[in-house]
Amino acid sequence: MEWRRLSVVLLSVVFVLGFVFGALAQEGASELEIQTANAAFEAADKGNPDPAWKGQKLTIAVYSAGPRGAISGPLYFWRPYFEKLTGATYDIVEIPFGELREKIFTDLMTGTGTYDIIVGPSWFYGDYIMNDWIVPAQEFFNDPRMPKWEPESIALPVRELYMWGDKLVGFNNDHDGQVIYYRRDILSDPKWQEEFKKEKGKDMPTPPWTWEEVYEICDFFNGKDWNGDGEPDYGISMHLKVGGQGFFHFMALSAPYVVSPAPGDDPAKVTRYHNVYWFDPETMEPLVNTPGFVEALNMLIKLSKTGPSAMFGWSLGEAWDAFLRGKAVMCWSWGDVGSLAQLPDRSVIQGKLGVAPIPGSDKYYDLETQQWVNKKNFVANTVGASWHGVISKYCKNKELAAYFLSWQATPQINHWNVVWGWTGVDPGTSYDFLQPSGKATIEEYVATGYDAEDARQFVTAYEEMWTKYPLRQTYLRIPGTPEMWEVYDIHLSEAVTGQVSPEEALNRIAEEWKAIVERYGKDTLKKIYQEAIGYKPE
Amino acid sequence: MSKAKEGEGTRASLPLLLCSGKGEWKMRRRLREKGNAFVIPAIFWVLTFTIFPLVYSFRVSLSKVLYGKLVGFAGASNYLRMFGDYRFWGTLRFTLVLVLISVCATTAIGLGLAIVFNRKMKGLRAFRSILTMPLFTAPVALGYLGVMMFYEENGPINVLLKYLGMGKVPWLSHPLWATLAICLVDIWQWTPFAFIILLAGLQSISDEIYEAAVIDTSSGWAVFRYITLPLLSPVLGTVIMLRMVDAFKAFDIPFSLTSGGPGTATRTLTFYIYTQGLRNFDLGYASAMAYFLLAITMVIGLLFFRRYRELYE
Repeated sequence: MEWRRLSVVLLSVVFVLGFVFGALAQEGASELEIQTANAAFEAADKGNPDPAWKGQKLTIAVYSAGPRGAISGPLYFWRPYFEKLTGATYDIVEIPFGELREKIFTDLMTGTGTYDIIVGPSWFYGDYIMNDWIVPAQEFFNDPRMPKWEPESIALPVRELYMWGDKLVGFNNDHDGQVIYYRRDILSDPKWQEEFKKEKGKDMPTPPWTWEEVYEICDFFNGKDWNGDGEPDYGISMHLKVGGQGFFHFMALSAPYVVSPAPGDDPAKVTRYHNVYWFDPETMEPLVNTPGFVEALNMLIKLSKTGPSAMFGWSLGEAWDAFLRGKAVMCWSWGDVGSLAQLPDRSVIQGKLGVAPIPGSDKYYDLETQQWVNKKNFVANTVGASWHGVISKYCKNKELAAYFLSWQATPQINHWNVVWGWTGVDPGTSYDFLQPSGKATIEEYVATGYDAEDARQFVTAYEEMWTKYPLRQTYLRIPGTPEMWEVYDIHLSEAVTGQVSPEEALNRIAEEWKAIVERYGKDTLKKIYQEAIGYKPE
Repeated sequence: MSKAKEGEGTRASLPLLLCSGKGEWKMRRRLREKGNAFVIPAIFWVLTFTIFPLVYSFRVSLSKVLYGKLVGFAGASNYLRMFGDYRFWGTLRFTLVLVLISVCATTAIGLGLAIVFNRKMKGLRAFRSILTMPLFTAPVALGYLGVMMFYEENGPINVLLKYLGMGKVPWLSHPLWATLAICLVDIWQWTPFAFIILLAGLQSISDEIYEAAVIDTSSGWAVFRYITLPLLSPVLGTVIMLRMVDAFKAFDIPFSLTSGGPGTATRTLTFYIYTQGLRNFDLGYASAMAYFLLAITMVIGLLFFRRYRELYE
């Protein structure tokens, strides 16, 4: 009997300790975070909360990353402030990334209405719109109870993701896009520059502006001990595991090879052949097996040879980790890398980070003339999720939900989320970009732990890409998008692991996309696709 | 068997001894009615949770489904689609490879361990408990554990191989090695299952038979071949059949360890069904594939039971 009692006591102690440490971990916020959050809370517009909201409760679905994790973290952090403001509260339902679609769509399909707010990815919009599952943000924008936020402050390519046609549908939060990160200290080192010149017969392009230059640099550094740890290091770090979000990186890489400028005064105008990436907007024929994609996939495969072979089995975190631990000289990814590089427990490269807008290409394929054009091409991207909130049409208190999302979208709260990197909210508004073109100061970033030069390069790279690049890649927002991207992911993996040739992989994607289009109905999808990319038939 | 039947007979006929003629008939009817009432919940359960889903999913397999709603009759098109779908054949091929390797290996290793542990030795209970631990772990957790174990850059297995003077193995990034990694984790989890059942089978063989055999031969192999194996074969057959049916349903380990990649190299049929049905909401096609899988497992089951009857009835 004694040992039984002892085990009960031990178990109880373990549970109590677990609970206490768990609670402490949830607190987790530093003194500075609290101070700056209080200041942001005071400065942000609070609208006029309706007293009738007191005691009410919302349920928010978000992807699972925990109380201090990306995107879900801010929901936990700001909850006490929201309770103070309105007397209402909310439950947070965390859903693993791989199960988001089935959980959220099942809820919406069945009309169960478990989730009042969905903090989801932009690729759900096609399904939201086709099924009329969400209430547009526009409906609440002029409601005097709502805090005021600034859609016009969001960089244009990202703002388009929050809109459908002329209507505002989502509430400002995250701003995803990919830029290239490199080791500033290594690429600017005269010793390495000299060796590069000796080996390649030309100056090292710092920063690299095209994928060809990226390849040259990675090829040069791959296999050399450039970090001085006695072991050979790598050129590029990327990830290509199925389901590991590697396909987004191919989207960013392939855009300049595929997207061509429109003739005339406005190179960014969407025509049947120009500024299109996914489908021919007249026929819904996939463009994924056109020569631009093939060239880009060959570049991806070539580039993958300058990194560890293990990356074919890596997910996002592992690829970031190799760069942050100083094992790879370059990687291209989302804004998370810029903020994670500043965390001493994750990174050894703080103060050594170089960031540039996503590289372009030396040539692009013109779909109209069906010929290559040997001209440099630069295309801004918004690949990723740009996680943000939408209101379910089954929400029981839509005004309260709109209040919460509007308040989170106010410049002060949103910018606070951006400067504190752990939130996973990436920069993308004029109040995140630095003065004089933007409103932010470098000190705001330095105060949260950023190295000043790292922060300057990081924020400027995004600003340059979204405001100065002549073209932008359209985003796929049609029903069946998640399924199409899954197909894309699988066949890219087959190509990079040598199971099939790049042409075969891309043909397989095209065939499967055609079948998906047929299943959802070609005419329905064509109409939604044209609306989503802003194409107007002539 | 016969004892049980006698017992049942005794219990059933006891009240009947107390009455006769018309009374007996009434009693019988009342008993039958009461018995039927007791069976109703079971019938309800089977109809609701087995027959209805089975019939409904068959209807779904003949329908065109969009966003979970049946929007039209599709005839046999979902079944015909399987024949032209190379991903379906790819996943089926991988599933068959997994079944073959995993079932053979778990049974062989389980049998070997059962023979080793089928004797009196110190600490036998502790060894048995330790050996059976993987069986009680959630497969998805084993998959994630596998991600760490098979990590190619300085993961424990590759570090061990490096010490042994071998090169880095691309466990998760090469189709063949990824297949092997999935098989190894599956074998690790399910060998204890084979071990426990085969050990029980070995312990049920009477010592007297062995004692008699030792008089005729001194060869351990001969004893195993002509005594142990034939007497163990019903248990062995059960293990193989249960493992086969289970391996055909493998999902968690490929899902968590490789996500079915590289490409679809380690995607099992159930994984593909799950993706089509619950992620892409293409429930018609998913149901058709599920029926195909059901047919395979049923054929295996029927073959097994036919063979079993031939041998033991």
